[in-house]
Amino acid sequence: MAQAITLNSGRAAQVARSPLRRRRSPLQRKAFPYLLVAPAVIYLLGITFYPGLYAIYQSLFRVRFNSWTFIGLDNYSKLLADNEFWASLWNTFLMGSGALLLEFLIALTLAALAYRDPFIRSWRIVFLLPMLFMPSAVSFIWKLAFNDGRVVSDLLMRIGLIGQPLDFLGDVWLARLSLIITDVWQWTPFLFVIFVAALQGQDAEIEEAARLDGARWSQIFWNISLPMLRPIIAVALVLRGIDIVTMFTSIFIITGGTPGGATETMSYFIYRTGFKRFDFGYASAASVLLLALTVIIAQSFVKRFFRSGRD
Amino acid sequence: MARRRKTGNAGSLLLRYLVLGSWALFCVAPIIWFLTIGLRPRTEIVLPQPLYFPTFTLDAWNMIWSSWPMGAYLRNSLIAIFGSVLIDLLLAIPAAYSLARYKYRFREDIGFYILSTRMMAPAVVAIPIFFLFKTMGLLDSVWALMLIYAAMNLSLVTWIVRSYMLDIPPEIEDAARTDGASDLRILVSIIVPMCLPGIITAGVIAVIFAINEFLFTLLIASTQNAYTLSVALANFTGGSDGIIYNAIAMVAFIAFVPAMLLVVAIQQHLSRGLTMGAVKG
Repeated sequence: MAQAITLNSGRAAQVARSPLRRRRSPLQRKAFPYLLVAPAVIYLLGITFYPGLYAIYQSLFRVRFNSWTFIGLDNYSKLLADNEFWASLWNTFLMGSGALLLEFLIALTLAALAYRDPFIRSWRIVFLLPMLFMPSAVSFIWKLAFNDGRVVSDLLMRIGLIGQPLDFLGDVWLARLSLIITDVWQWTPFLFVIFVAALQGQDAEIEEAARLDGARWSQIFWNISLPMLRPIIAVALVLRGIDIVTMFTSIFIITGGTPGGATETMSYFIYRTGFKRFDFGYASAASVLLLALTVIIAQSFVKRFFRSGRD
Repeated sequence: MARRRKTGNAGSLLLRYLVLGSWALFCVAPIIWFLTIGLRPRTEIVLPQPLYFPTFTLDAWNMIWSSWPMGAYLRNSLIAIFGSVLIDLLLAIPAAYSLARYKYRFREDIGFYILSTRMMAPAVVAIPIFFLFKTMGLLDSVWALMLIYAAMNLSLVTWIVRSYMLDIPPEIEDAARTDGASDLRILVSIIVPMCLPGIITAGVIAVIFAINEFLFTLLIASTQNAYTLSVALANFTGGSDGIIYNAIAMVAFIAFVPAMLLVVAIQQHLSRGLTMGAVKG
C-alpha cells in the first residue's frame, strides 16, 4: 500500500499542473460505480431473474415431455386444492419452526455459558465440527443411527428409556423428529458462533458497571446482554430460517418424504413433481408460490437489517 | 456472604461445564462413531444389534478407489468449487467497492437485490435452470456446476467483502487520490490488499457452501462427468446390498478434513462471514 502511494506520488505534481486533462468527464464519473457493480448484477439476473420469469411462464402450461399446452391458471387452482401441496407447506412450517426454535434456544444457552469461559476457543471448535460435514454425509450419519443401524434405539434401551426398538422413520412424528434432530445437530453451531461473537463484542464496561452495582449474572444477561443482542439474533434467525424453509437434502436422503408424505417439504414436493412425475408446469406453479413466500420473508425481515454503504 | 458467593460460583461453574460438556459429547460422539463406521467391514454395519467394538479394516478406503471413479469425483469437486470462487471474487470485489464507496441512485436497491438472491430457494430456480442448461448443452457438466455455485455464493461474497471495505478509513483513498491514483488503481493496489482478510473469509465460506451444495448438483450431474463428492455419496449403494455406509463415511471424512482446516484458519472472522458482515466478531 505504502509502495502504491509512493509510486504514484511522482504523478501528483503532474496532476496538479493539468487537472483538466486527468479528470474524467462527469458522465464517466457518474457511470463508474454502476460499471463496477454491473457484472455481478447481470450475472445474478441471468441466473435468478430469467429462471424466475421462466418458472412463471412455464406454470401456465401443462408440460408433457416436449408438448406444452397453455392452460392459464389451471395449475394454480389445482395446486390450491391439492392436499399434498398443503401438507408439504405444513410440514415445512412444522419441522422448520421446530428445528429453528430448538437451535435458537440451545445456541443462546450455550453462547451465554461459554462466551466468557477461558476455554471458549476450544468449545467453539468442538461445537463447530458438525457444521463442517457435508449435509449429505450428515444425513447418512443420522439415517444409519436412527434406522439402518438401530443405534439410537439400542442406546435408549440400554439406559432403560424404552422397552423395545422404535421405528423412527416409520412413525409420522418420530420421522419428523429425526429430521429435526439431524438439522439441530448440524446447524446449531451456525447460531452459536454468531451469538458468541455478538456477546464478546458487547461493551464490557456496561456489564462491569452493572456487576459493581450488585446485579447478578442472570440479571445482566436478561436485562443488558439480551436486549443489545436483539438485532443480531434477528439477522441470524432470518438467515437460518431461510435455509430451513428450503430444506431438501436430509429429506431426500433420510426419508424421501415418507411415511405417507409426513416429512415432505415444499422443496421436496417441487423436486418430486418435476423430476419424478415429470409434471414440470405443475412443479413450476409450486415454485412460484415458494418464491412468493421467500420474497415476502426477504422484504419484511431482511431489508431492515442490511444496509449497503455509509449513510 | 463472601463464602456463600464462592459456593454459588462453584455450583454454577459445575453446571456450566455439565451443559457445555454434554453438548460437546453430543457433537463429537456421532462423529467418532461414524469414523468407526468408515473403518469397519461392511458386514458389521447393518445388524439387528449394533456393534460398538467392530473389527478394524481399511476395506472402505480400498473400495472407494477401486469401485468408484473417486479421482473424477475429486477433480469435479475441485474444478467446480475453485472455479466458482474465482468467478465470485472477480465479480464481487468491484461490486462490493461500488456499494461501499460510492453514493448513487438505486445503490440501496442494487445492494438489496444482490443480497436477496441469497434468499432464493434452490428449488424455485431448479427447474428453469435445468432447462436452461439443457438447451445450452451443459447438463452433466462441471462447468454448469461452476456457474451455479458462483451464482449461489456471489451475494454473500459481495456482502462480506463490502463489510470489510467499509472498515478502511476513506482518508487513505483520499490521500492516494490527491496523489493522482485512478479509482481502479486505488481498488487494485490499496483496497484489495487491505481487505484481504475479508476476501479470504468470503472465499472460505463460499468454498464450504459449494462443497455442501446438493440439489443443483443432483439435477445437473448424472454421471462421473460431473458428480461431486456431495452427490456421489448418494449413489454409494450396492444394488440389493443397500447403502454402503463405510464408503460413505470414508468420503465424508475426506471432505471434512480440508473444510475443517479452512474454517480453523478463519475462525476469528467466521461469525462476520456467516452473517454476511452484519456482525463484527
